Amino acid sequence: MKPFFQNKSNRIWLLVVACLMVFNIWNVISNTPMVQDQHWAQKIFYVHVPSAWVGFLSYFVAMIAGIMFFVKEDNQWDDVGLAAAEIGTIFTALVLTTGPIWATPIWGQPWIWEPRLTTTLILFLIYIGYFMMRSFGGHEERVKRYAAALGIIAFADVPIIFVSVKFWSPEIQSHPQVEMAQQPIGILIPFLLSLGIFSLLYFLMLKLRIHVIRTNNKKVTDV
Amino acid sequence: MFFTLLKKELFIEFRSKEVTLSMFVFGLSIILAFVFTSNVSPVIVANYAPGMFWIMVLFVTVLGVHRNFSYEKEFDAFSMLISAPIDRGLIFLSKWISGFIFLSIMELLIFIPFFKFLIIDFPTQPIMALGTTLLANLAIMAVANLVSGLAMRARLSEVLLPVLLFPLLSPVIIAATKISAGIMAADPIELWKIWLLIVTSVIVIFALVGYTLFDFIIEE
Repeated sequence: MKPFFQNKSNRIWLLVVACLMVFNIWNVISNTPMVQDQHWAQKIFYVHVPSAWVGFLSYFVAMIAGIMFFVKEDNQWDDVGLAAAEIGTIFTALVLTTGPIWATPIWGQPWIWEPRLTTTLILFLIYIGYFMMRSFGGHEERVKRYAAALGIIAFADVPIIFVSVKFWSPEIQSHPQVEMAQQPIGILIPFLLSLGIFSLLYFLMLKLRIHVIRTNNKKVTDV
Repeated sequence: MFFTLLKKELFIEFRSKEVTLSMFVFGLSIILAFVFTSNVSPVIVANYAPGMFWIMVLFVTVLGVHRNFSYEKEFDAFSMLISAPIDRGLIFLSKWISGFIFLSIMELLIFIPFFKFLIIDFPTQPIMALGTTLLANLAIMAVANLVSGLAMRARLSEVLLPVLLFPLLSPVIIAATKISAGIMAADPIELWKIWLLIVTSVIVIFALVGYTLFDFIIEE
């Protein structure tokens, strides 16, 4: 298989995403208004929320790949599922890191059992189990089926986890930046832009990771 | 066919009593550990009792479902079972219902020691407590049997089962603890009915997902 960036369209895609990312960081630092009481801490939401969006989108892709793997019985969907699970877990880890960075100055402590953060943590733990299954599961063909099923089960559990955590500690308010639609235009536009750029980055990463997985699989088959 | 499979599960268990007995003894050991590690005022213990009960059930469930599936591996019985011309979803349903029966029997046996050893009062609404506990058992076993079906034939299944199961079961454990706490405090049902809804949702979703996926999961 040809290296991923030998393809011209992939190179252009990388260049565009890299430029947009640099622009995004500059835009967030220079052009977005300071929010009263939060100051610089609020800026992390331009990374935190898009990371959460990409993480959950990725797990959704892992679920779809799981369903398709069973329906089509095609190993290519397993590659998609694995790539999506890996990228989802990276972004989920980013959410779990940026959340406490924001919470420390605002809430006075790095962790509060806020429903969205808690749901993210539980989903992260499920996917740690997913990778343990992939690594230690044994029989390769069976593990692919188990991983596909786990991708479906994990995503099916998300709404229940969220609702249960929300009612578990109703006194804990969701963080104030959640209702982004109600934010002033100076915050909303850069936020939506960041969301779009992170999504573009995600699809590039997904394509690259699928390519790498398939190249590795081919090498193993050739050996 | 479902009843034939269920009868098989129950026959094996009632002959050997392996699953129920090991769950019961393990449950007693956990209660003992709770007693030794919670040497505080009875009021504090009573507040924590619902959580303690469901943590015990969680650990015991891992032991039970692992045993319930692992004896099928002996003499390759599971391969023979799935080579039979039957709907494999029914295998999941029979494992689920038999697991539910074993867990409920274990809880009935352990109910009195739990309250007496921790020196806490029995719930004032026993029928309500029984009904909601059975409902939570159904939800726990639906998730546990599906995950056990996944982990059973994987290498290191005894490690993978709790690692996968505990986070997936977190909504049920939260809901079951809240329901039990509501009943222990004799709160009106309006205050905790949302948790019944969550438990019921888990039962419906995992019954459907389990029935559908089991066919693919256990394929040779």
